[in-house]
Amino acid sequence: MTADDPVRDSLERFIGKPMGEGAVAPEEVNLPMIRHWVDALDDRNPIYLDEAVAAETRMGGVVAPPAMLQTWTMPSPVIAGIAERGGAPTAMKSENVVTALDAAGYVGTLATNSELEFERYLRVGDRLKTTSALESISPRKRTGLGLGYFVTWITTYWAGEDEIVGRQLFRIFKFDPSTMGGAA
Amino acid sequence: MSAGTIHVGDELPVFELPVTSTVIVAGAIASRDFMPAHHDSEYARGQGAPDMFMNILTTNGYVSKFITDWAGPEAMVKKIAIRLGGPAIPGQPLRFSGQVIAAEDKNDERVFEVTIRAANDLGDHATGTVVVSLPLEPSS
Repeated sequence: MTADDPVRDSLERFIGKPMGEGAVAPEEVNLPMIRHWVDALDDRNPIYLDEAVAAETRMGGVVAPPAMLQTWTMPSPVIAGIAERGGAPTAMKSENVVTALDAAGYVGTLATNSELEFERYLRVGDRLKTTSALESISPRKRTGLGLGYFVTWITTYWAGEDEIVGRQLFRIFKFDPSTMGGAA
Repeated sequence: MSAGTIHVGDELPVFELPVTSTVIVAGAIASRDFMPAHHDSEYARGQGAPDMFMNILTTNGYVSKFITDWAGPEAMVKKIAIRLGGPAIPGQPLRFSGQVIAAEDKNDERVFEVTIRAANDLGDHATGTVVVSLPLEPSS
């Protein structure tokens, strides 16, 4: 417990808990979305679209670009009102550490770290889902943006019911923009 | 590339990405990220950013492309760990550089650790490490 920081104390209950309902990919890993990504990023690695070349590699056939991992489970957005929701694709259904910090005045968000790990490359037909857990919340810290908390969570990506195919550690700094430049 | 042609200390060929609004929007939508900050300059400026900026999924995608354009189609990316710095915005080319810092044989592959940096005139956009492997005996 930190006697001088009731906001931080109030967040302790979120640690180890899911960040929200897990996501289920709306579609299986599929060639049209892979092609869209390959064209958008001009990534011409032949293992993503050229079956003949991919079959000659240790991939044994076409695979999805690994960095697409998070793309497969991105929520279907409600475009209307997305700006008013601060960019959130849909309304937040449940309270989590982010909504609690917003409510406490720490409305600023800056992503600071992303760590993607891939257990295997995905293939057309894989159907992903995610689970998440809040790993840690730092003590209140002052940065150039003001006072805030570093919040770290881990999302686990599953294919089918029981196979882990990847993980992402994500860290953000949630800060109070009104405290920029002030004393700690 | 094959496992035997890469050595600790090797530097990767520099890749310069001319970042435009189209590059940013194309990556955002291909990654199904519809946050207005990644396609709407006016909205982004209203949030305190200098312009619309590249989303993290796209940054990770370009890091992967940077690595496999060098390592080739037998390469398997195992990990992309980045620390995020300044934004990637239109008109500011992103310069990707990297260096092999470790190599270790595990089972039938050689696993390389590569430090990477993507920077523009604002400073570092992303810095970190990528773990990538190549087979010890190519299958073809």
